[in-house]
Amino acid sequence: MRRNKTIRGDAYPGAQSDLAAGSYRCRPFARAAATALILAWAVSAAGAKVEPFSDSAALEHVNGDERRVWTQGNEIALAIDRGGIIYENPGASAYVQSVMDRLFPEFKGSVQVAIVKSSQLNAFALPNGRIYINQGLLARLRNEAQLATLLGHEGTHFTYRHGYQSERKVKNAGAFATFGSMILPGAVGFLPQLLAISSVYGFSREMETEADVQGFARLQRAGYDVHESPRIFEHLMADIKAEDIKEPFFFATHPKLADRVQNMKKLSAGAPYGGDGTSDLEYANRMAQLRLDSLEHMLSMGRAKSALVMLSDPERVPEFPPEAQYYLGEAYRLRGHEGDARLAEEAYLKAIEVAPAFPPSYRGLGVLRFKANHYTDAQNYLDRYLELAPDAPDRKYVDSYLSIARKKAGSQP
Amino acid sequence: MNRLVIAAVLVILSGCAFGPKRVDSSRTEGPDKSYTVDLPVGWISQVTYHSRLLVSRDGPPLEYILITKTSLKTAFPKTKKAASETMLPAELAELQIAEIKSEDQYTAALTVAENEPAEIAGHQGFRFRVRYKNNRGLEIQRVAYGFAEKSDYYQVQFGAPTLYYFDRYYPDFQKTVASFQLSDSNKKTSALKSQRLLSENLTRSNWTGH
Repeated sequence: MRRNKTIRGDAYPGAQSDLAAGSYRCRPFARAAATALILAWAVSAAGAKVEPFSDSAALEHVNGDERRVWTQGNEIALAIDRGGIIYENPGASAYVQSVMDRLFPEFKGSVQVAIVKSSQLNAFALPNGRIYINQGLLARLRNEAQLATLLGHEGTHFTYRHGYQSERKVKNAGAFATFGSMILPGAVGFLPQLLAISSVYGFSREMETEADVQGFARLQRAGYDVHESPRIFEHLMADIKAEDIKEPFFFATHPKLADRVQNMKKLSAGAPYGGDGTSDLEYANRMAQLRLDSLEHMLSMGRAKSALVMLSDPERVPEFPPEAQYYLGEAYRLRGHEGDARLAEEAYLKAIEVAPAFPPSYRGLGVLRFKANHYTDAQNYLDRYLELAPDAPDRKYVDSYLSIARKKAGSQP
Repeated sequence: MNRLVIAAVLVILSGCAFGPKRVDSSRTEGPDKSYTVDLPVGWISQVTYHSRLLVSRDGPPLEYILITKTSLKTAFPKTKKAASETMLPAELAELQIAEIKSEDQYTAALTVAENEPAEIAGHQGFRFRVRYKNNRGLEIQRVAYGFAEKSDYYQVQFGAPTLYYFDRYYPDFQKTVASFQLSDSNKKTSALKSQRLLSENLTRSNWTGH
């Protein structure tokens, strides 16, 4: 097909990888090539060590190759900003940034944290001091000390210049370059892509361990309870197991997650208890809206199991706003296992009880009743939904249910 | 040995693609002959993997119409959700939007601009329009119509950047949707079936949501 040379739209989901190039390529090959590229990069990434930054003033002296790596980091940051995937929540963003500043006071203003609209359990650091944390990961953390563990780790990737070191190793690996150009034309010389890959998929094992150890030291210095550190891994491991997650995941690659739990336990073994940041409820209050938004996002992607992991633990109910009961109902409805319709109904009813002004619970219950042929009930709940949300985006669907429910209700005894 | 290699390459290539061809004024039949449709004349059509019919004028990154027919059970591979014939149109739309959201980090942040019931080929289905930005900040819009018929799921989708292309070619897409018909063998059982589903088959209890 003819391809416009000046404007690239990427309207078609497979455009970049196959048809846009004029000929179709099999996706499995591209995946295998990308995997091989990452592996080659990982193998080549050995040796080379640079001193960490001491404070913000040291950043003034970044130049040469490292400045270029920063520029590439800026390009990635720009793409992220342009892509509209930053989660806009000034309260949550300011809170997360304040924890980062408490951990890295000498870098205040130089390490910038942003929240990404994604339900994946991931976080990554760019070489230029931009740290990204996915909304889904923040929603899963239990308290500020756990958040500080995560930020201490990611901040260390920046202060220890891991992005630059990774790029330097890649650049120095001649064999890698040859190999890369063979399997993925255009990849070599496009280091921003590699930076993104290394950032998202994890740095080398040594760098990850260094980030653990140094991040832990930051946590201690800032006065947080370090015994929360292993717990973050334990909670997330439980989530991964429950959801059968196979995706980029914070800390998941190097070293193995189970080993990380042991490492963090060893690090915290002799430390005193009683540090800051252990209140689950305080964290819950600060993250209330983010958690609801994250649940909505998660469910809109069909990830019912993830939502259930968060919401079905009765002990955690106080950590969520009352409206979360509606999302629990939605999670059961979307999962669709035997008996889930009943559980969904119970959750919707509970939601109506604890948050009576929240419209979606009425719709959820109304549609359930509609499908169970309880048309009078359905009509009542759906009417109430539209009463509370007259401009509901799904109004036309609901009107169609109501139209049928009214007819059927009239013919029911 | 060489022949084996050549044969293997041919087998692989044939599994990946069929050659593109220019759309003429005649009615186009779907790859498995289950539907017919009028495609925009002069555009280029190509059958891609999974028998998806892809049509574009300037190249898929700039505008495309994509027609798919898949089994309801495997229609949503990214989210791994199984659909059923008895699902409400809104439920199918919900699954389709989740599927688009699962494509990459940019579509994951999409906004649903419209989502409503729609009729296509005599079936009650859905129509939605979503918008998102790519990594260069260019806004993309997609419109999808879909419905279930027996154990199959049909979808006609249009995508283009908001800048210039979407408005320019959206009318062509609407004509394509309006012309979409199931083939005679399917018609016998399909006409107004979904209307009946909505109004009569509500007694089925295996709907999984709304």
